[in-house]
Amino acid sequence: MPTYAYILVSLALFFVGAAGVLLRRNVLIVLMSVEMQLAAGTLALLSFSRALGDQKGHVFAFFVMALAAAEAAVGLAIVVSVFRTRRTASLDEVNGLKG
Amino acid sequence: MTIAAAQIVALSPLLMITGVGCLALLLDTMAKGRAPALWLAQLGCVAALLAVANQWMGSGSSQPIWSGMLIVDRMALFLDGVLIIAALATLLVAAPFMREHEFEHGEHYALVLFATAGGMTVVHATHLLSLLIGIETMSLAAYLLVASWRRQPAGAEGALKYLLLGAFAAGFLVYGTALVYGTTGGEMSYAGIAARAARAADNPLFIMGAYFLLTGMLFKIAAVPFHMWAPDAYEGAPTPVTGLMASGIKVAAVGGLVRLLGSAFANPGLALGHAGWVRVLGGIAFATMTWGNLAALRQENVKRMLAYSSIAHAGYLMIGLVALGQKVDGAQPALLVYLAAYAATTLGVFTVVAWVGRRDDERLLIRDWAGMARTRPAVALAMTVLLLSLAGVPPTGGFFGKFYVFRAAMQSPDLAWLVVAAVLNSLVSVYYYLRIVVAMYFRDPVRPWQPFPSVGMAIVLFVTVVVVLALGVVPRPVVELAAGGLVTHW
Repeated sequence: MPTYAYILVSLALFFVGAAGVLLRRNVLIVLMSVEMQLAAGTLALLSFSRALGDQKGHVFAFFVMALAAAEAAVGLAIVVSVFRTRRTASLDEVNGLKG
Repeated sequence: MTIAAAQIVALSPLLMITGVGCLALLLDTMAKGRAPALWLAQLGCVAALLAVANQWMGSGSSQPIWSGMLIVDRMALFLDGVLIIAALATLLVAAPFMREHEFEHGEHYALVLFATAGGMTVVHATHLLSLLIGIETMSLAAYLLVASWRRQPAGAEGALKYLLLGAFAAGFLVYGTALVYGTTGGEMSYAGIAARAARAADNPLFIMGAYFLLTGMLFKIAAVPFHMWAPDAYEGAPTPVTGLMASGIKVAAVGGLVRLLGSAFANPGLALGHAGWVRVLGGIAFATMTWGNLAALRQENVKRMLAYSSIAHAGYLMIGLVALGQKVDGAQPALLVYLAAYAATTLGVFTVVAWVGRRDDERLLIRDWAGMARTRPAVALAMTVLLLSLAGVPPTGGFFGKFYVFRAAMQSPDLAWLVVAAVLNSLVSVYYYLRIVVAMYFRDPVRPWQPFPSVGMAIVLFVTVVVVLALGVVPRPVVELAAGGLVTHW
């Protein structure tokens, strides 16, 4: 398959993820959407890396995977902490701070 | 890639902060009480400051490290110094604050150091990979610090919003990197991107990648319209952490932007012109300072007001970035002076905000501050000086920071409108800063004043006020330090 096909898929993934962050109200779905954006970045990096015959994109992809894991760990810890005080995982109901 | 001893020495401040952070985490699990971890963290900061001074004396030239992943130059060392001092001040204020509010965790001290290490990586970064690692190390530590006061529902809520939008920004950084990497033919170092930028500038995917990277960074400095997380995270965070976010994290993100825009995307074909980032960033700077100031006008909560004030300051800082894009000579040192003055002022202000509250009564509303000058005249005076510095009134450091940035921007005729808007904005901001001063001096106290005594807070407050006044009376030494820090590789 030509490189542009991979890039198109990754662009679609990225924008679906971005739309998910902006539109969905459940915290867990939002976190999943963010992971999707990172996966889109990884896919684009890998396909460019292959097309260019260059290793840097592969290395970067490993770092992105580690980053995604760290972000999920911290993110879920914070979601649990919110759930403990408010008994909800919906962003519409987590609205104590305003102005 | 080789790791030479000279490179280890050149990076010693960063390595020290990282290492001491890890050691403090270990020590906290083994030692009794929280004090050993705190002392280790503070000693680590002092040692790292000495290492920065040593590097500054040692070499005047910039030195690429690890195949161009990082660079050690005057700008990075200057900002390292600011970041480490911000961390030290945060540690000094956080310890008594957490003891008073009964949520002292040793991890807190380690996380302050990790956030600082991330910030230092950002200001040293000359490669998109080290930029991403630095930004994320800093941000992940910051999310946890915001959430660290677990009894406080506002803390978890602020951390959640910070995390979701911060992770969103990370998505933009990663995807932007991928696009720039692919369209420049496999370049990730700033120098490599700059070399290929002229050819790649016709490629819409490259432009998109550059703007994605810019968007990711603008989230971190809380520029409008990417600022939505900032007021909630600033208000929800424990006050010393808010101080760190407004000073250290903002300094690091602006430093990272100076490098990214000043070297990788400095190409005139990319910066100037109709859709160049200079024009876009100018518009964002205007929106950021105006929105920040207007929203600050109607806040009753001191922390939230200062959050919007910090957004407004991001707008003034972006004027310096725009001037940098116009290749104005003095833009970069002016930004560094502004950052140093702003960091000192903010740290002092949040020290006072942390100091006024007792357990179960944080005194965060402006009307709670009524009558402070009667019982605590020295602190009220210090707070007044710091607020005047935030407003940019002479003779304070905040005035000279603004003065140098605006003077640099005035050298380019295209930016005159932005400077006029910024000066008008500063006038507006005087109103809400003075609301606190009026409450402190001219209102009757609503309830008795009984802040807790703390040597650490007193030291931080004294030092920041002295620095702010010194910068306002004799700015020359700091200006010369900052002028030694020109980026050499564009």
